Amino acid sequence: MSTNPWLATGNYFTSYKQEQATFHTHLDRSVFTLFLFLLFAWPVFFPMGNKYMLVIDNILIAIVAVMGLNLVTGFAGLISIGHAAFVGIGAYTVASFCRIMGDSHIFVTHFWPVLIIMAGLMGALFGGIVGLPALRLKHLYLAIATLSFQMIFQWVINFMSFFNQGQTIFVGRVTWFTGTVGRKDHYLFWYYVILIFVVLLGFGIRNLLKTKYGRSLVAVRDNDRAADAMGIHPGLTKVYAFALAGFFAGVAGALHAYLYRGVGFESFTLHESISYLAMAIVGGLGTLNGSFWGPVAIKLLDLNVEQLAELAGRYLPSSMNLATALRPFTFGLVIVLFLMFEPRGIANWWRIVKSYTKLWPFRY
Amino acid sequence: MTHLNISDVTLSFGGLKALSNVDMKIEPGLITSIIGPNGAGKTSMLNCISGFYHPTRGDIFYKNKKLTHASPHQISNLGIARAFQNLELFSGLSVLDNLLLARHQNLNYSILHAIFFYGKASRIEAENRAYVEEVIDFMELEPYRKSLVGNLSYGIQKKVEVARAMTLAPDILLLDEPMAGMNIEEKEDIVRFVIDIQKERNITVVLVEHDLGVVMDISDRIYVLDFGQLIGSGTPEEIAQDPKVIEAYIGEDASDEQK
Repeated sequence: MSTNPWLATGNYFTSYKQEQATFHTHLDRSVFTLFLFLLFAWPVFFPMGNKYMLVIDNILIAIVAVMGLNLVTGFAGLISIGHAAFVGIGAYTVASFCRIMGDSHIFVTHFWPVLIIMAGLMGALFGGIVGLPALRLKHLYLAIATLSFQMIFQWVINFMSFFNQGQTIFVGRVTWFTGTVGRKDHYLFWYYVILIFVVLLGFGIRNLLKTKYGRSLVAVRDNDRAADAMGIHPGLTKVYAFALAGFFAGVAGALHAYLYRGVGFESFTLHESISYLAMAIVGGLGTLNGSFWGPVAIKLLDLNVEQLAELAGRYLPSSMNLATALRPFTFGLVIVLFLMFEPRGIANWWRIVKSYTKLWPFRY
Repeated sequence: MTHLNISDVTLSFGGLKALSNVDMKIEPGLITSIIGPNGAGKTSMLNCISGFYHPTRGDIFYKNKKLTHASPHQISNLGIARAFQNLELFSGLSVLDNLLLARHQNLNYSILHAIFFYGKASRIEAENRAYVEEVIDFMELEPYRKSLVGNLSYGIQKKVEVARAMTLAPDILLLDEPMAGMNIEEKEDIVRFVIDIQKERNITVVLVEHDLGVVMDISDRIYVLDFGQLIGSGTPEEIAQDPKVIEAYIGEDASDEQK
């Protein structure tokens, strides 16, 4: 009997390899391919101004960073309050090259993919070092260790003249096969670059989670005593989790440096760290697709609140200084509401929608 | 030849002696039980063997390897698996993933293989999945393989706990009260599994259990602990006759009244 390869119904796995596949039906595969195609194709049909492309690029960079944070906080259960500092490590790796070699050196402008990967490895190195207290500390004490790294990072950047005391360090325009990427195409060009990074890293995580390197993360989150008894070194696994998160953060930081063509310390402050954490929580801790929902939701919310504050500022006395108060207020409110009513985040809504559409028109 | 040799082990927490000068010899291929009243030091003994505690004095040898100061993950790699008394499962993972985690040391592919998930990683994962399925089949967990462990009932979780220790493919299986809090039917199930583990798979079993009926039925050797001291050892028949053991369980006066 031949079955329909487009639907899950009636198709049984006959080997364990079949079950390992990312997409089980033709339908899943084609929907995903179509979605990916649309992501790459839409700027051709609906060209947007630089202002809006910048917002979209920002969201994509946040997705890269939050994917890393979700690995360490969501999957491995280690709260990291210093994620923006790791992103900063990546950005300042690029900035260091610009300081030493000059911001238009051929290595910075032509070999930028190499530099981005190097920034990731640098992030991983620092992640591993900051993760070392995990060999001894647990829970909130470990979170404080990551917080202290954030503080040390800010102080070092602010006081070292090599890093321009935290003032902007310029990064040169990159070159592609078509020549130097100019002002007009800059944001579109980086949209594609960041999108490719997001897709590759997303698949990387997806595969990693199917293997022992992903499972051991969840094992130390759920029960590190039992993980120890299963032959997993809990301490080293936690250090590895931090290193992995550091890699993603480093890549995000390098992309940030190239996108803004400059590195300044204000993008890597404690506030940004908290905001990454909020994105991970709102998206859904411990889920891969949560890392995509969170940044989209928080960044769009941020934009809307800005407009709302502008509108409200016209009718209310300016002494109330609504614009500055409204942002942190809604930001905090959203986190609290999510923690209270949907601790599993937007990813849970996605799960419900998915199971509903799969069964439609039946109830169960 | 002795498999696991526990010689003169003392474990003290400050002034409290959890174990004092305990000697045990675990023979290969047998079911050895450790019994004793509450707080006798049974679980402390298992914790010493599996590396969660390190004896204050004395040594533990396994096949002439010294385990005294090894950490739990080193000991589990040597082939000594442990099922916990209070459920220590990975509650956010499915039964399948729980068991696959026990194969961690057998999955020898690099992180690059894992990221691309082609060739080696995929093949090794599939091989170990087959091994896990065998254990699932053995422990009759087929209906639950994809369910989250945290959502399963207590009896099933206990079974998963034993299955996970089995998946480590151990030489010695340490079971800490696998039947606590279960009804008669579930107890009978577990007893059957313990016997099968010993007979079919030829795994040495060390059992800590309160249900004396079960212990007397299935053990080949019994060690009795009381207040951290070894007060008796031998076959079930010898233990049942041992006046010291009867005293520990029933009390001095009762044995006097029986006379």
